[in-house]
Amino acid sequence: MDPDAQLVQECLRGVAPAWEELVKRHTRRVFNLCYRFTGNPAEAEDLSQEVFLRVYRTLPSYRPGEGAFPTWLSSVTRNLLVDHYRRTKRDRITDSIEDAMPHLEERHSSARTPDKLALASELSAQLQTALSRLSPELREAVILRDLQQLEYEEIRAVLQVPEGTVKSRINRGRIELARVLKEMGVRPH
Amino acid sequence: MVWDCAQIEEWLSDWLEGRLSPEDAEAFSAHVSTCPECQELVASVRGLVTSMSQLEMVPEPPDLARKILDATIGPRVKVGFWERWTGWTAAQLRPRLAMGAVTMAAVVVIVFQVSGVKAARFRHVDLNPVSFFHNTNRQAHLVYSRSVRFVNDLRVVYEIESRLQPAPEAEPIEPPSLPEQQPQTPGASPQQKSENDKHRDRSQSRTAALVAMLSPADIWAGGSTRSSR
Repeated sequence: MDPDAQLVQECLRGVAPAWEELVKRHTRRVFNLCYRFTGNPAEAEDLSQEVFLRVYRTLPSYRPGEGAFPTWLSSVTRNLLVDHYRRTKRDRITDSIEDAMPHLEERHSSARTPDKLALASELSAQLQTALSRLSPELREAVILRDLQQLEYEEIRAVLQVPEGTVKSRINRGRIELARVLKEMGVRPH
Repeated sequence: MVWDCAQIEEWLSDWLEGRLSPEDAEAFSAHVSTCPECQELVASVRGLVTSMSQLEMVPEPPDLARKILDATIGPRVKVGFWERWTGWTAAQLRPRLAMGAVTMAAVVVIVFQVSGVKAARFRHVDLNPVSFFHNTNRQAHLVYSRSVRFVNDLRVVYEIESRLQPAPEAEPIEPPSLPEQQPQTPGASPQQKSENDKHRDRSQSRTAALVAMLSPADIWAGGSTRSSR
């Protein structure tokens, strides 16, 4: 029996340490999904808390036979992210014009850091900027596939769309992201 | 079959992940090798996918898990070392528990005392049931013989005392019963003196016999022979 399923069963029996363990095991994963989708650490933190609150309330509805716990957790997170995206759509349109300014600066600073670690974190930041320019459908598909390393079948379960759509969104998302990075003057290798 | 740029875009991810049939893969490569634009696209997407797979996860804020736990199962009180220690000692000092502990300690001390186990020269063999019983038995006999000796000694002492000084308070009681036979005079009569001497001689010889009987060997032989006498 996989450790997540066992922890979930213990949680449903009311064992508090099991819930604590479950939260600690998956906090980073959920936070990263939120962070990559929103591009804002503070927002991602609030959303992560909201995700676990929802998980805590809806844990009895999780069926281990229907898929692994991380997939179910990603699905809960993704639904919350989509809700959040719709809620904050109006605020974002006004912000997007101001957001375009720092990207020009990033292009200049990218040539100055030879350190590998700094390069990695810089790529991470540039990637974040590029991701925020993708449509939410393409963004979530790319994040789940290339940053969270989910299989196509798992992504299909999370997004609740046919596998052909999953493939197409991932493919279009990658091409779009590569174009945005090229526009930003970033060349990943 | 010859592929165009639109097809390259459409099947790019399938090609990268090796999901194209050999014929399609061949057609894909054939077009890319002749089209500089598609070459650049394939190179950039491949680089992007590789970079993203190598990216580490961003560490979450350090107190995020605690916040989540507080919001779900409520804040948990963290008990520090000193609180735990003082809590423990307070629990030990509750009257019922403290009394129990003291009683227990007293019982242990008494049992060890009785069995002759010396704390200063404690050996594991002392706890062996056989030697424990042996020691306890020996100790009990010692105590018994000592108490028997003490009682006997006390009896002898009183006997000797009573012989040496025949109860002085007995005399004032006796005269009223026989007032005419034994007229009391301030000076003792010769008859009375000789009577007293005789009494003293008899008691002295008896004391000597008793002292002789009180030799250690006699005591160790046990009080039963003397008590029966």
